[in-house]
This record gives sequence, structure tokens and C-alpha cells, in this order.
Amino acid sequence: TNRECASHMLRKKLPFLHSLLSPVSRHVGHLTGHQYDVIVVGGGHAGTEAAAAAARVGAETLLITQKIHTIGALSCNPSLGGVGKGQLVKEVDALDGLCGRAGDWAGIHFSILNRRKGPAVWGPRAQLDRQRYRDFIQSELLSTPRLTMVEGSVEELLVTEPNPEEPGHHRVTGIRLGTQSVVLTTGTFLSGSLFVGQTTSPGGRIGDAPSSAGLSHTLRERLGLRTGRLRTGTPPRIVKDSVDLSLAKLHLPDSHPTPFSFLNTHTHCKPEEQLPCYLTFTTPGVERVVRESLQLNCHIQQDTKGPRYCPSIESRVLRFPGRSHQVWLEPEGVTSDLLYPQGLSMTMPPDIQLRLIREIPPMRRAEIHTPGYGVQYDFVCPTQLSPALQVKSTQGLFLAGQINGTTGYEEAAAQGLWAGANAARSALSMPTVTLSRTESYIGVLIDDLVSRGVTEPYRMFTSRAEFRTSLRPDNADLRLTPKGFEEVGCVSSVRYQESLRVRNSLQDALTALQALFLSTSSWKKKLPSVPISETKSTLLTGLDLLQYNDVTFEMLASAFPESLSSFMEFAQRLKIEAVYKPHCDLNKKEIERIQREENMSLPQDIDYFSLPVSLSDEVREILDRVRPSTLGAATRLEGITPAAVVNLLNYVRVTEKKKETHRNQRQQEAQRDEELCANSASLPQ
Amino acid sequence: MLPLRPVCGGIWRAAVHTVRMSRGAPPYRLFSSTCDGAPAALADADTIFALSSGHGRCGVAVVRVSGPASATALRCMAGFTQRLPPPRTALLRSITDPRSTEVLDRGLVLWFPAPRSFSGEDSVEFHIHGGPAVVTAVLQALGSVPGLRPAEAGEFTRRAFQAGKLGLTEVEGLGDLIHAETEAQRRQALRQMSGELGRLYQDWSDRLKRCLAHVEAFIDFSEDELIEDGVLNRVDVSVSDLQAEIERHLKDERRGERLRSGVQVVIAGATNAGKSSLLNKLCQRPAAIVSPIAGTTRDVVETALDLGGFPVLLSDTAGLRDSSDLVEREGVRRARERVEQADLTLVVVDSHLRSVLPDTGTVPCVCLLMHRLCLLVLNKADLLPEKQRQKLDTELRGVSGLPAVRLISCQTNEGLKAFLTVLHSSVKTLCGDPLFGAPTLTQARHRAHLQRCAAALAQYQRYRDTDLALAAEGVRLAVTSLGRITGRVGAEEILDIIFKDFCIGK
Repeated sequence: TNRECASHMLRKKLPFLHSLLSPVSRHVGHLTGHQYDVIVVGGGHAGTEAAAAAARVGAETLLITQKIHTIGALSCNPSLGGVGKGQLVKEVDALDGLCGRAGDWAGIHFSILNRRKGPAVWGPRAQLDRQRYRDFIQSELLSTPRLTMVEGSVEELLVTEPNPEEPGHHRVTGIRLGTQSVVLTTGTFLSGSLFVGQTTSPGGRIGDAPSSAGLSHTLRERLGLRTGRLRTGTPPRIVKDSVDLSLAKLHLPDSHPTPFSFLNTHTHCKPEEQLPCYLTFTTPGVERVVRESLQLNCHIQQDTKGPRYCPSIESRVLRFPGRSHQVWLEPEGVTSDLLYPQGLSMTMPPDIQLRLIREIPPMRRAEIHTPGYGVQYDFVCPTQLSPALQVKSTQGLFLAGQINGTTGYEEAAAQGLWAGANAARSALSMPTVTLSRTESYIGVLIDDLVSRGVTEPYRMFTSRAEFRTSLRPDNADLRLTPKGFEEVGCVSSVRYQESLRVRNSLQDALTALQALFLSTSSWKKKLPSVPISETKSTLLTGLDLLQYNDVTFEMLASAFPESLSSFMEFAQRLKIEAVYKPHCDLNKKEIERIQREENMSLPQDIDYFSLPVSLSDEVREILDRVRPSTLGAATRLEGITPAAVVNLLNYVRVTEKKKETHRNQRQQEAQRDEELCANSASLPQ
Repeated sequence: MLPLRPVCGGIWRAAVHTVRMSRGAPPYRLFSSTCDGAPAALADADTIFALSSGHGRCGVAVVRVSGPASATALRCMAGFTQRLPPPRTALLRSITDPRSTEVLDRGLVLWFPAPRSFSGEDSVEFHIHGGPAVVTAVLQALGSVPGLRPAEAGEFTRRAFQAGKLGLTEVEGLGDLIHAETEAQRRQALRQMSGELGRLYQDWSDRLKRCLAHVEAFIDFSEDELIEDGVLNRVDVSVSDLQAEIERHLKDERRGERLRSGVQVVIAGATNAGKSSLLNKLCQRPAAIVSPIAGTTRDVVETALDLGGFPVLLSDTAGLRDSSDLVEREGVRRARERVEQADLTLVVVDSHLRSVLPDTGTVPCVCLLMHRLCLLVLNKADLLPEKQRQKLDTELRGVSGLPAVRLISCQTNEGLKAFLTVLHSSVKTLCGDPLFGAPTLTQARHRAHLQRCAAALAQYQRYRDTDLALAAEGVRLAVTSLGRITGRVGAEEILDIIFKDFCIGK
């Protein structure tokens, strides 16, 4: 099989592994000799969160990136959050990550998407000022203890020779600088190439030096990792003054901006200082330009087996011809004189890009500041990772962001935080931790990646979360902050204390609501405006009442000020809790069952083909290929039968019992030995 | 695939276990499990029921109920209005239908409060008369009690396992047992799903998936992308149509197809092996045309038999071979389909062919032998010289894992009696297995899933205007419930529909 083949090759190469190290850039030179616990490669959304999280957990951390001043740069769209993505931002913030607070600092247009569709699917979103976002991230990292940043380019990884007993298994030892853990967050730079029209050049982002193919080569050839290739793109940036915005539809932000972070009560930008967005539409002329220029468009010509969704304007008009498509004109910052045309990602030659945008009425006379372009890059098939985002076959090597086949800032940040925290834990000899898909979108994201893999850039949607009604943006702090402090160590005690205060207050408020136990007629007297059905003769609690559409917590609090008025700061959260409580209670049993199964880990070194358990060959093959880390993950695999699950469960229980007996025996023996030693020591000489 | 994965997997399985079947005031709610000492943790668990004795001719049938609402079932079906009977004591009671209070049977009832029961949960056993009418009536009555649903494959044993009630040897056999139950359920489902009913369910499933995809698209993308305003309105119409159709179907008893009852025994094998001759021998009349021409039988010939008191549905099928004849090809397809659904297959082989096992055109037969319950019948013993018989004997002995083999001759009746004895005992074993047959159970299960599906669609309508996330949850539940009949639906499948129907940008 491939695996055997790869490990065979690795064994043959052994003696040279140590000498294959990198020409790390000159800036790093003076650091040689310094030991770091964790080295993070890359300074994008994944890298910055990873470095900050590793340092928060307590690891001496080094962040290496090509240019310090591009740390925290928004390479593509100037916005954060949205439906599904906003949930990720809230969760990253609940784990004390950076992006939520950075968004609150840099946001210049805040809105909650899906406002009328139910709080579980609200999508907090903001347009950002690029400069402010970068400034915030950089100053936050500079003031983070235990974190060093350095400019450099990493070409090779140092790894140990594989253990002869475990062929194909390595441990990362550094990148010339010694380290325990490495987090790779190379984004689109892993063997990246840029496409504009018919020209192709190596690189991951316009204006930045290409990274070498060496790293990609190390991962593939030396560590035997399977990689694939993905594509993405970005639209041209338009000169704002050249656009007639009066021809586009004005889109205003929320009049009261809602901050992303649980720690913030307001955003940096004042409500009245927010900038608007504009909406416009493509015309038949756009489709004509795309079709006429197809032969000049390398990126699109290679689009044989692209993603199911439409990554560029070219694929939009080709796949859905004859329609008008939305184009959002978004501000790039308070002082920026550019506009970002969301929906117009394109890779045709620059002169044709200009022709295309001028087919859209507000841009008839528009000028392009920087043309759009496409990027193709390598990713590592994420099924080779553990739920801690560690490469299964290489201890200490963690991957996060686009290198795992995802797209989007929020997806990258979420993985970065989790990989960074785990890299630090691993370096500090603490066990790695996992997040379940039953408790967070981050868990859904990671579980989907490591157990299903990707065939197109993975993006978060709320429909991917089966427990969507429980995993809401409003309760991310309750779900994750205590765990982040108690089990992961990536949350500051200030945030932790605040989350406890919130949790206790909410609990007290719900108890107080349930203690209001009145007949329907008494409720009618208290709240005359609410249509309470007369036929209901039973007693209703305040919590029941709060589930009514037209009852707000404020109404209840003014009717019962003595018991409820102290909880006014949580009015909205309490309303949401009340409405969703019955549904979450229904989910609870299923969640508990899944968590039980997820708590049973399957050893990573099982030989599924020789396992003395009744399993079909087909099932053995699936298990061997995917190597699920828990019984829960195995249960979710396509093709695993109920019988196979029970047999695996039984196997896990029996081996655990054996291990325990073994451990007890050893303990007893050790104790006996100690006693013997003690006795012999006390013997007179 | 059909609902083969009832207990495991399923990305959108979410809360299907815990949906209440009727949200409008359930009549039995007042005395549900609150006072019966059920542990609070189990309060939300489902209560399951199944026929746990054999099918076919038997004097007494045992129906088992397990879960927190067991006491409710006991109260409303065995007339214990005040207090429950003493634990683990058999009492003779009238068993009534809680909807009509009509007496269905007189039988023994036993009450096993948790944890001292087979499953470790509150349990009830009804020992009733074994006739199919009584059994069906009791199962249907149980299905009408709120909180109760028919058990999925292996569910009783799984619960016992989780409660630590199984011994070591029983645990080791559990996987095999669940495999057998899943297989039995799969075969039953296959039988029901071929034909008009299957097409109906499939159509509902396709329409529901589309509804879900469109609601999800509206939730995830409508703020950024151009999703026409009418999308949700079309879903509204579709959902209410579906709900009405499913409810009508549930009310209309005639629409359920008549279910073929009995052990499904299928005769299969290469052409001209003597399959039709065997059918005629077994039913003692020339039910099928027999000729020396290979490929005589083209369609499935079906006869009902009474084999030593057990109901058997015997099917003769077209000989398995590659053919260019369109009609014969269809016959072979039907033959294979029938073998898929069979409880027991009689693989007929022409014994005087040089080698019975592989490479003599019987390869498909040998494939049939794998993984299935079957008997190998070597026909045309009369044409076999003595010397070759011995050779055949040693040859067969050398192959491990072969099913029971019988050498017969339909021409001279040689070996037929011994073969009948083996067949009879196989059928008897199958009938003694509570999992086998009982089409009423499959039907009850389908009913339960359809009821949940309709109830979940009502949730969509209830929340449509106030909270689309909760409304979508209703459609998700409906998809999951129906998916238990027509096959699991994953998140990726829904995303496929979304990306096909809407232009979603990066």
C-alpha cells in the first residue's frame, strides 16, 4: 500500500534528515541558540491567533513571517464575520483570541445579518479599516508576554528519524532554531502561484516574495503527507472617486453597532461615524466580456473540477448565465480612497478587467487601482491531522488555516487558535485537547476537516452544525470560556471571572423567572397587552411567558421589578435563552450520547486489518484509511455499520479494562518494591 | 441505500429521538413517568416496543416495552388507573386499545421497574395470543401511546448493554446480533420499498430535501447573495403540501400495500440446473414450466406454501447468466433482486457438471453463497455415476465455510426427503427468530417515522414567521425521520442542492 511504500522510502533516507535544514533568512541569525517551545510560521489570521494562543497557554513562542509589517493584513475582503463566520468570531473571542476585539477596534460598518431569522443564525459582521485592523493585531502581539516576532522565510523543517518501531512516525525538532512544536500557517504561500490573464508567477499574495517550494516538498516527500491543490481569487480594487455611487443602492449599517467581543460594550467606531456600503448588479455586458476573454484567462481555463460554489465572476456568469449578479461596493477604511467590489473576483488580463467593471453602471468611468488575480496553492489533506490539528505521523507539527484546505479569515483564525493552544500544550508536556462538534462551530469545523477531508475550499455555514439551535453566537462565552480557562489554559482570568459572573447571573435570572408561578388570569392582569389564551387553565411561569413572541424581558422586569430588575443587562440574552430552552433540552440527550462516544478514544496505532474483532473488510479499510481518533468520529464515517460500532465499543472497553488492571498491578508491584527497599534500607548494616 | 444505519451515524440526526409525537395536549401526559421512580436522566429518553417472540405459528406472543413511558403503556392498556401492579408478577388482564378502549385480547402483563429488568430501564411485557391479528392490534395500540415508538434494530440489546446488563459472552455476540437484526430489517425494508410505496416515499424525500436546501440557502446566503424573494414562499407551499399528503397517507389504511407474509425462500442458480423442477416438487403441482431448454423461466414464479405448519413464500427465478435477450436480462435482474430480499436462498447446482464449485458457470451461485443464509442443492443426482459421487463428496469436504449441502434428484425423488427435513428446520429456526418476518413491525416503524415527519413539518409552520432557525429545525427533523425509511441524508447532499440551485459566491 501507499503508506507502507512511503514509510519504506522514509526509512531509506534516514541518515540525512538532520542535515536537511533551512536557509532561514538572515534576520533569524541572531536567534540561533535560543530555545523556543513553539514556532509559528506565518503571520495571517491563523498564524497570529496561533502565536497569541500558544503564548497565553504559557509557551515561549516565536512567530516567523516574511514581513513584520504585513502581520494582521487582510489579504482579501475588508470585512469580518457573517452568517456562520460570525459564530466562529464569537467563539474565538470566547477563547480569548484576537479577531473579535480587533474587529471591534477596526470596524467601520457593523450589522447583524439575519436579524429577522432567529438568534441562532444571526450573523455578526463588520466592514473593517485595513490599517486599523493590522495596527491592533500588531500591537496586541507586541504586548503579549513570551512572544517574539521575527522576519524570515522557512524552507525546511527539522524532524527526527522515525522510530524504527513506528515507521513513518516523526517528531519535529525545529527549523534550525530548536523547538518542541511548529505551527505551519502558510496560507496560499505553499507552492503558491498567481494568475492574471495569461501570466503566471510564483507567489501567494501580490506584493510579497514567493515562498519556496522547499516546505511543500518537505511535507510531501520527507513526511509522506498527501497534498492537493486549491484555488482562490480576489477582485480588483477600485478608485473610489471614479465611481458614481449615486447609481448604486445605499446600504446603511446598524444604527447601534454590536461589538463582536464579549468583553466590549461598544465598538471603537462611533455609531454615527460608520461608513455605508453600496449594492449594484452585473449587466449582460459583464457576461459578454467574460465570454469574449475566456481564451485569455489561464486560471479559468484550468477550471476543470472547481468547487461547487462560484469563486469568481467568471464562474458565476458561466454557471448561471442570463442572470444579474449582486456586487457589493465596500469601503476599505476611513482614510482609504479605494472600494472593494465584493463578488467581482476575477483573473482576466487587467485591461479586460477594466472593460468588465465599466459594464456596471456606477463604474462606467471607474479606474482600477490594483487588478484582481487568482492564486493556486498546495494544501495538506486534513484527514492526516488529529482533532488537535497535529499531523498524526509527526509529533509536534501542527497545521492551521488554508494549508488545511479552508477558506476565510474566521475559519483560519479558529484553527490557528486551536492549533496554537495545542502546540503549546504539547511542547509543555500537557495532553492535547479537543473540541466537540456538539459544543462549538470550531469543533464542527475541525471534525469535518479531519474526518471527512476537503474537495473544495471549506467554508463554514450554519447548516453544517447539526446542533445549530444550541451553538448560538449569544452563548459562545458560556460554551467555551470556562473550558478555555480550566482545561486549555488559553483564557485570561479576567475573562474567566467575567464569564462566571455572566453564567451565574443568567442562572439566577432563569430561576427567578421560574419562581414566578401565576395563573393565566393573574398574568393577564399583570400584562394586559399580551394575548394569553384563556383556555389554558394551568399555571404559567415567567419563563413560559418569556417564550411568547410579544413578551420581552423588559416587560416582565417592569411588572416584577423587585425580583427581575437586577438582571436588566441580560435582557436580550434571557429572551433568547427562554425561546430556545425547550429545543436545546431536546438536543441534550443526543449531545450527551455523542459526547460519551467521543470520550472513548481509539488508539492511533491500531492495526485494523488484524484486530481480533468481527469487522467486515470494507469497514476495516475505511477505519485504516481515516484512523478516527474517537469512537464518535468512527460512528460518523460513511460506511460504518451499527454492528461495527458496537464491536469497536466493546473492543475499547475491554482494552481499557485490561490497561487499568495492568496499571493497578504495576502500581502494586512498585509499591511492594518500594516497601522492600524501605525495609532493606532500614536493616542494620 | 435503505435505512440500514438506524442506530449509528447521521450528521443531521440531531433530536430525532426526542421529538414528541404530538405536541397538542397528550391525554396520558398527566400520569407519565414522574411518580414511578424513573431516574431523572432518563426522563427524556424514548420508550420502545417490539414483538420479542417468534412469528408464524405460536401459541403465545410476547411484546416487550422498555423506557420511561412503559408505565404509561401499562396504565392505559392494561387498566391500572390507580397504582401499578407489584413488580415481576404475572397478572391476567384485559388488554385494551387506549384510543377506543376496545378490548384487544386477554393476556398476562408483567411490570419490571428499573433497574431490575432486561434493559435496565422500566419495562413491561405483554403475553398475548399468538395470532397475527391480535399481535398487529396490540402493536398498533402501543404505537398510539405518546412517547412510544417501535424499536430499531438491536435497540433493546443496546440498551441492555449500556445499562451493563449483558454478560461477557452476550456482549461478544452483540455485534453479530445487531448485524443480524440490521440485515433482517434491511430485507424487510427492501421488500416494502420496491414498488409503489417505495416510489412514493422517495418522491417525498426528494421534495423534502429540496425544501431543506432552500431554507438553508435562505438562512446562510440570502444576506450576501441574490436569492429570489419567492424561495421561502415556495417552500411554504411545498411543506404544507407534503404535510397534507403524509397525513392523508397515514389516515388511508388502503394505501398500505398488502404485505407478503411468511419466510421468503428463493430458488436461484445457473440456467438449466433444475430450479423450476424443484419448485414443482416442493409445491407438488406443476406451478412452473419445466423444459430442457436453458432459460425457460424468465420471470419470478411465486407460490405460497405451508411447510410443516410454517408459512413460506417460495419463488422460482430465472437462471443466472449473461444474456443478450432483453427479456431474459430483465428476468436475471429480478432474480438477483429477489435473492437480495430473501430470508433463505436455495442455490441449485447441476451436480453432474464436472466441478460444482467455481469456474463452471456457477460462479454467480458461489457468489450467492457468501454472506447469506442458504442451502446448496445439488440436483440431477440420477445422472451421477457412483465414482463421481465420491469425488464430489471429497471435493465438497475440502471447502470450508460451505452451507448445508444436499444431493437430490427431482427426477427420481432421491434425497428429497432428507432435503425437506433440512429445509423445514431452517424455516423453523427463521420463524422462531423474533426479528424475522413480522411485516407489521416494519409497517409500524414506517408509520412512526411518517408521523414524526408530519409533526416536524408542523414545527416549520409554527415558527416560519418568528424564528427561521427553529422552523428549519423542523424541516431537518422531517428529513431525518423520512431518511430512516428512505436512507440517510447528509449535510453535503443538502449543500449539493444549494449550490446547484443558487449562485453562491466565495
